[in-house]
Amino acid sequence: MRWLALYLRSRRIPVALAATVGSVVLMWSLWTATSNKRDVDVQMVILTVLLAVATLTATLAGPDDALEHTGSLPWPRRRAAHLLGALAVVLLLLLATLATGARFGPAGLVLRDAAGLLGLTALGAVTVGAARSWFLPLAWTLGSLVLSLPDTAWAQILTWQVQDPRNTAAGLTAGLLAAAGLFTYAVAGPARRAPAEAAL
Amino acid sequence: MSRILRIELRRSAAAGTALVLLVAGALLLYASTDGWASGWMALAMVQRQYLVLLWPLALAAGAWQARREQRSNVAELFASTARPLAQRVAPVLAAMTIAVVAGYAAMTAAAVPWIIGTVSYLPTAVFAVLAVGALSLVAAAWFGMAVGRLVPSALTAPGLAVAGIGLLLVLTPTAVGGHEGVTAVFSPTQGLGLFGDFRTISGRVSAAQGVWLAALAVTGLVLLAAETRRARTAALLPAVLGAALAILVIPRGGDFVESPIDPVARELVCTEAGPRVCVSRMHAGLLAEVEPLARQGLTMLAKLPNAPTTAAEDTNSFLDEHAQPQRPDTVTFNLRVDSDGHLADDRTFLPEMLNAAGVNAYACGNELSRPVSRAAAYWLMEREPTAGAHDPAEETAQTRALWQSLRKLPEREAAARVASVRTAALACESLDGLLSRSAA
Repeated sequence: MRWLALYLRSRRIPVALAATVGSVVLMWSLWTATSNKRDVDVQMVILTVLLAVATLTATLAGPDDALEHTGSLPWPRRRAAHLLGALAVVLLLLLATLATGARFGPAGLVLRDAAGLLGLTALGAVTVGAARSWFLPLAWTLGSLVLSLPDTAWAQILTWQVQDPRNTAAGLTAGLLAAAGLFTYAVAGPARRAPAEAAL
Repeated sequence: MSRILRIELRRSAAAGTALVLLVAGALLLYASTDGWASGWMALAMVQRQYLVLLWPLALAAGAWQARREQRSNVAELFASTARPLAQRVAPVLAAMTIAVVAGYAAMTAAAVPWIIGTVSYLPTAVFAVLAVGALSLVAAAWFGMAVGRLVPSALTAPGLAVAGIGLLLVLTPTAVGGHEGVTAVFSPTQGLGLFGDFRTISGRVSAAQGVWLAALAVTGLVLLAAETRRARTAALLPAVLGAALAILVIPRGGDFVESPIDPVARELVCTEAGPRVCVSRMHAGLLAEVEPLARQGLTMLAKLPNAPTTAAEDTNSFLDEHAQPQRPDTVTFNLRVDSDGHLADDRTFLPEMLNAAGVNAYACGNELSRPVSRAAAYWLMEREPTAGAHDPAEETAQTRALWQSLRKLPEREAAARVASVRTAALACESLDGLLSRSAA
């Protein structure tokens, strides 16, 4: 237990969790205040998932990853658990709204986007570091919201975040990103940099 | 100063920002070239539309850049230097400004090769539209830097981007009770009007947008350099003043034209020699492509008595309240620009031009008989009528039957009947039975 408490603290998880809950509550209140409809607009759902994932991005690296790396602990499974935990947090928060007056659904879309975006973020954390890893998921998702392409398989893959939850090509893309992110992050861990720069 | 600026250009987020704007902008532009292949104004307006993505990204880039000192754990160290804050942020501010302006300009430049060969009309309003777009990015970067400095958290940049795109997506005329002028001022992606040829943006609208965006940029600047709470409160002043001034400048109520049309863009430009072929100034670059086709159409029409001698582009816009009347000595044609900037579908050009023997029936308001109109056109072309993609089979069969009955007639008689179709269409009278009646 003591290790877990120290780990959570080193990754600033309490602050990140507060930010995640806060951003979802903010989006929930915005919708409740401005709309009479129960089902939240799909663009808003996607933006909320994006924001929730972005709040958890900072937890993917510690204050001194190089030092941590030398610890003889089975890191891969812990890092995998970290990512799965982050996914569970996003899913729990958004699926909890399904019982309220502003429903952030459908569940399939939330699951696909949360898993895919977390995987993309984890890939970013491994390659360019956790501090910069929010950018690609953000730019890609906003681009997908804006772009209108002819309905081909390539277009569905390119704009997977905004496709229908039953869309196979988009689901596969998200699954691939999630699996690649989970595997790479679990095995390699966050990109190591000098402790002075690692502070988030 | 210039040495520090050079260092900042290399070591800040400036280069990355410019690159992101260029890549995202070029991807958006080339995802569909239909909207902007027809002219410089269309390009400038489409670029403004895509600010819905670029504007939030510029906000995020500014916020990210402002957190650099916290990220590197040197915020306290730098705060202890004996230099005023304004002097310390000036070089990085300049670097970010150069970056967003260069990124936006590079996006324009990326589109230039696609249309430079076919587009010639360049009104000065284009530069105003582009300048407002670039200014909106500068304002976004400065404001983002200010927010990033006030709230130095890892979440500021993505949160600001999400808030920015949310604002732009929500701020539509319907959301503010139909006040198009208000959204046109506060959202750089609004006030562009409906898509269509010859459109423009009035100078007053661009000026109002410029005033608001400049005020927003100044607010960002004051916030960025403010070291006391009072100075931060004062930063609201430019924003409030700018908003008020912009609302005063923008035309309101009935004066606000949603989709203004550039009258110069639709003036006709004609060929010098031979039978005259005219296109609008906006499409002047396509005159050489249109000329042979239009001449061919004029030659075919010459079979008729009192045939028209000039072929001109139909410059009516769907935005016009009243269509211009047709002249008997001129035959009009529709000029459609393809996504590659060249003349679209030259196979349908002649059938459309010679429809109802060279009369554009849209001006009449009431629908003229399509089988009669098309049979007349195909008789002039001496070709068998073919079904278009959306033509009902029954209509094509009627057209074909009329065309065959025309072919069986002596040349003179058939020409007289087709000429009577033209006369009736010019007067907007019914065409029914004009081709199939017994010899008059």
